[in-house]
Amino acid sequence: MTSETDEAIILRVQGGESEAFGDLVERYQEKLLRYARKFLLDPDDAKDIVQDVFIKAYQNIQSFDASRRFSPWVYRIAHNEFVNALKKRKASRTVFAFDIDTLFPHLQAPDTADSATLDRDLRKTLGAHLEKLGPKYREPVVLYYLEEMDYKEISDILQIPVSTVGVRLARARGMLRKIGEASKEV
Amino acid sequence: MDAIEKGRIRMRPRWHFVLLSALALVGVLIVFLTLLYVSSLAVFFLRDSGVWFAPSFGMRGWWTLVRGLPWLLILLLILFVLFLQLLVRRYAFVYQKPLLASVLGILFVIFAGGFAIAQTPMHRFLALSARHGDLPPPLGFWYGDTFRAPPPPELYRGVIIAMNQHQLILVDPAAGTTTVILTPRTRLPYGSDFSVGTSVVVVGDPIATGTIQAFGIREMDE
Repeated sequence: MTSETDEAIILRVQGGESEAFGDLVERYQEKLLRYARKFLLDPDDAKDIVQDVFIKAYQNIQSFDASRRFSPWVYRIAHNEFVNALKKRKASRTVFAFDIDTLFPHLQAPDTADSATLDRDLRKTLGAHLEKLGPKYREPVVLYYLEEMDYKEISDILQIPVSTVGVRLARARGMLRKIGEASKEV
Repeated sequence: MDAIEKGRIRMRPRWHFVLLSALALVGVLIVFLTLLYVSSLAVFFLRDSGVWFAPSFGMRGWWTLVRGLPWLLILLLILFVLFLQLLVRRYAFVYQKPLLASVLGILFVIFAGGFAIAQTPMHRFLALSARHGDLPPPLGFWYGDTFRAPPPPELYRGVIIAMNQHQLILVDPAAGTTTVILTPRTRLPYGSDFSVGTSVVVVGDPIATGTIQAFGIREMDE
């Protein structure tokens, strides 16, 4: 793989070098597959949906502003595709309906040394308990802990306020802790 | 990748996205201008009916204001604000803020703009033209009775044509002549200096046909 930036590759694709898009696929395929598997919890669907993500990205590449970062843009496309896939599943019809958390401003507690320790513990047990979280909380957890994105990037991908990202992550941590404690007792 | 390299999947041309962005921008602009127009019309109706000035009479005046609000226009405003919010929510400067903040921001801009437009003679001129039947139907329709709230029964407005210490006589093109009885309890604005020819708004109770006892009077700024 070259050291060329994503944005430089896109400029080439936009200029007509379609085959350069392969470099982007190579760079993002594994990341998006991981995101899909952890968020959709369905490894069979993941490959097809990620393929659709790349097709959509290619079709719309001329709308991409190369002065911005490619990663949040392609993750946004992935988010839309994944949400559509979840909506198609009968059990998840009400996924991502209007969310009251986006309505009001929320105060965010600053990260402390304690919360950093808790984060480390959470990361260890994340894989085992992730499927017990609803999609609304699972997605920011996947993006933050597994894709290692910051609040601002997650806000751009989910198109929700940064403070709402903080609220969802805080609630997800609380849920994961409870789930972890309950599983220890059993 | 194979399908892309073999040209079975094509990228949409740049002009497609430029056109979509331009259409979205035009849509936002049209909805924004409609909102400004509707909010300024609401302010104009409130001022024209005198309801705008009622809150200066205290709690009773506030109740008069609530009863005289043009609710149909307010409903339209709410619908257009929600529509505008839908159109602009994909922009970072909107979604990065809580929904309440962006809706309040839109409302503030709309009301400030609407208030400023209501200060111009535009609506008065258009309302007069509509009354004389000089406006084409889509525009004239806005100034008919559909969007105006019926004036609250305790509210009177008019121009003073005669006055003494105990009563005023008002004339209004729509309501005709009204005699306003003043009592020691009638609320008058501090430093009020009414004279014949002054436009006033009165909140009061009818005591006989064409005669009311004034609860409060204030001058209308026109």
